[in-house]
Amino acid sequence: MSTDTASVELVGEEAVENVARAALLAALTGAFAYVSFPNPVSPVTISLQVLGVFLAGLLLGPVWGGLSMVLYLAAGAVGAPVFAGGSSGIGSLVGQSGGYLWSYPVAAFVVGAIAHGGLVIRDPAEQSLVRLVGAMVVGTAIIYAFGTIGLSVVLGLSLREAFLAGAVAFIPAEAFKIAAAIGIVRSDQIAAE
Amino acid sequence: MTLSYRPDDTFAHRLDPRAKLGFQAAFALAAFAHTTPRGLLALTGVTAVALRVSGASAREAMWAYRFALPLLAAGPVFAAATLGPPWVRPAEGFDTALASYRVVLVLLVSAAYLRSTPVRESRAAIQHLVPGRAGQFLGAGVGFVFRFFPVLRGDLRRIRDASAARLGGEQSVVDRIRRVGVAGLARALARADRFAVALRARCFAWNPTLPHLSLSRTDVPVIAASVALAAWAVV
Amino acid sequence: MIETRDLVHRYGDDGPRAVDGVSLAIPDGEFVLLAGANGSGKTTLVRHFNGLLAPDSGEVLVEGTPVGEDLVGARTTVAMVFQQPRDAFVAATVGADVAFGPENLGLARAEVDRRVGDALDAVGMAGRGDERIGELSGGERERVAIAGALAMAPDHLVLDEPFTGLDAPSRESVVSHLRALSESGTGVVVVTHDLRDVWDLADRVVALADGRVAVDAPPTDARDRLADLGVRAP
Repeated sequence: MSTDTASVELVGEEAVENVARAALLAALTGAFAYVSFPNPVSPVTISLQVLGVFLAGLLLGPVWGGLSMVLYLAAGAVGAPVFAGGSSGIGSLVGQSGGYLWSYPVAAFVVGAIAHGGLVIRDPAEQSLVRLVGAMVVGTAIIYAFGTIGLSVVLGLSLREAFLAGAVAFIPAEAFKIAAAIGIVRSDQIAAE
Repeated sequence: MTLSYRPDDTFAHRLDPRAKLGFQAAFALAAFAHTTPRGLLALTGVTAVALRVSGASAREAMWAYRFALPLLAAGPVFAAATLGPPWVRPAEGFDTALASYRVVLVLLVSAAYLRSTPVRESRAAIQHLVPGRAGQFLGAGVGFVFRFFPVLRGDLRRIRDASAARLGGEQSVVDRIRRVGVAGLARALARADRFAVALRARCFAWNPTLPHLSLSRTDVPVIAASVALAAWAVV
Repeated sequence: MIETRDLVHRYGDDGPRAVDGVSLAIPDGEFVLLAGANGSGKTTLVRHFNGLLAPDSGEVLVEGTPVGEDLVGARTTVAMVFQQPRDAFVAATVGADVAFGPENLGLARAEVDRRVGDALDAVGMAGRGDERIGELSGGERERVAIAGALAMAPDHLVLDEPFTGLDAPSRESVVSHLRALSESGTGVVVVTHDLRDVWDLADRVVALADGRVAVDAPPTDARDRLADLGVRAP
């Protein structure tokens, strides 16, 4: 053998798979930022970014789902155009939408922890509907709480003003994403993975 | 149009990425600490220099961040408006206008970083700054996100084109989101599985040879400026 | 030397045996064609050569050591090029991708650079390290994937269906580089259901049917028996 192999600390087989999935879910969340649908009940279009956050928690569980969103933030910070509107950079993380971005790892962790009932991963398709919906409702609350606080701090608005300016118009569309996310994790195509 | 690295030989291109990351952090601190007309005037000058030495254009940068602008413009209006007399409180509107402006400056300075720093240097900076396995996870993972992001964007585009051709716009919005989500996620997971096997075959390790980085004399003025900005922020 | 002894692999606990009692020895420097119809177990078998799969029973030895006991050793001795390598690249540019293996081995930067240079040279891609993989032709991509494997400095190079989707000139180019590698002493295992391209290079043809070795002979002797398996020899 041509190489001294004793000093190489291989990433464990299971961890390799988790790293790969975390990176792909982070990239998918970024790609979702470019997909929008017209909202039937509001003039604000529906972007799918938050769907990526939900799916990271539901599929990868709290730990790797949260880490997936950490990768998303880190990649966006150094230039991957994965944030809303294809933006990127450290400025975005301390800008008016920074609160939303920082919420993603926390929200993915909490969605994962509730959906899987702890840190151990189970098949999300077998969890009860109430649990899955509850997980994503709490996740949504976290995202909008962070987002509103962030906006209030960064622009010097009161929480009420920040909520009106940056959150209220977007919240109804989250119901569509939650419904779609349930359908996604329960579809045969995903459950087989 | 997104802000991305462009090969060039500007002053900023020759800097160590760690020095540039530190500068952005110090600049943001200063902008949040001195959100006054005078403070922001001084920081506008600093921003102009940062753009100049990196070859970034303010106009291109603002275009890349155009989705942020409506909210930044609306912020002062929300701040100034009140329910009931006096209906408008200009002082609060003014404070929020300053806060919006500082965000614009911070965004422009990060545009200078993006324009002058290739991904591999950012990755190297992460791996040098964050110790051990955490740094390797972040550095390698960021590289993988860059690697697959355009691939998955292409997947989603093809999925949408195909479903638009087949079904038109007749389904409910939840069905349409679900359809795109299932197909996009299934492809992403299949790619992740193949990718993981390839990583294992190539001995993906926690302790690889790190990319080379070294601070040089060129970095001295940037480090000095960062220290000065950070010091100004805390006094 | 790669050696399997009564190797069995099944997918799932009670799934069918994808590999069903295979014993093979592949000495250093040998050029082997691994043939068989779709689903005959070819890919499953070679993924045991460097520990990407673990045996359900039997064992796999590389240089006399069970692969599970020294995965790094197995993966630097037996390097793998995957079918349709698109999802197997780790970086966007040629040089960064080829460097990935040697970097993981913790080699000094100068040694990493030397290996990348040598590997790109060996596949006719010298000086093209800064090009984006996504902008290369299918044949060039295949050669970059081969370079990524060669940068591990392996004794054996395993290629899984390397010619799928390549046009004739690209196939010829890949074949000519494999010939040169083989002549310089690297062992080559080509997994394929289409034997035309590499028939002349092979020292030995192994064909699987239902997870078992059905043919193991020099090309001249193997020709007639392959037809019975539905594998077309040129």
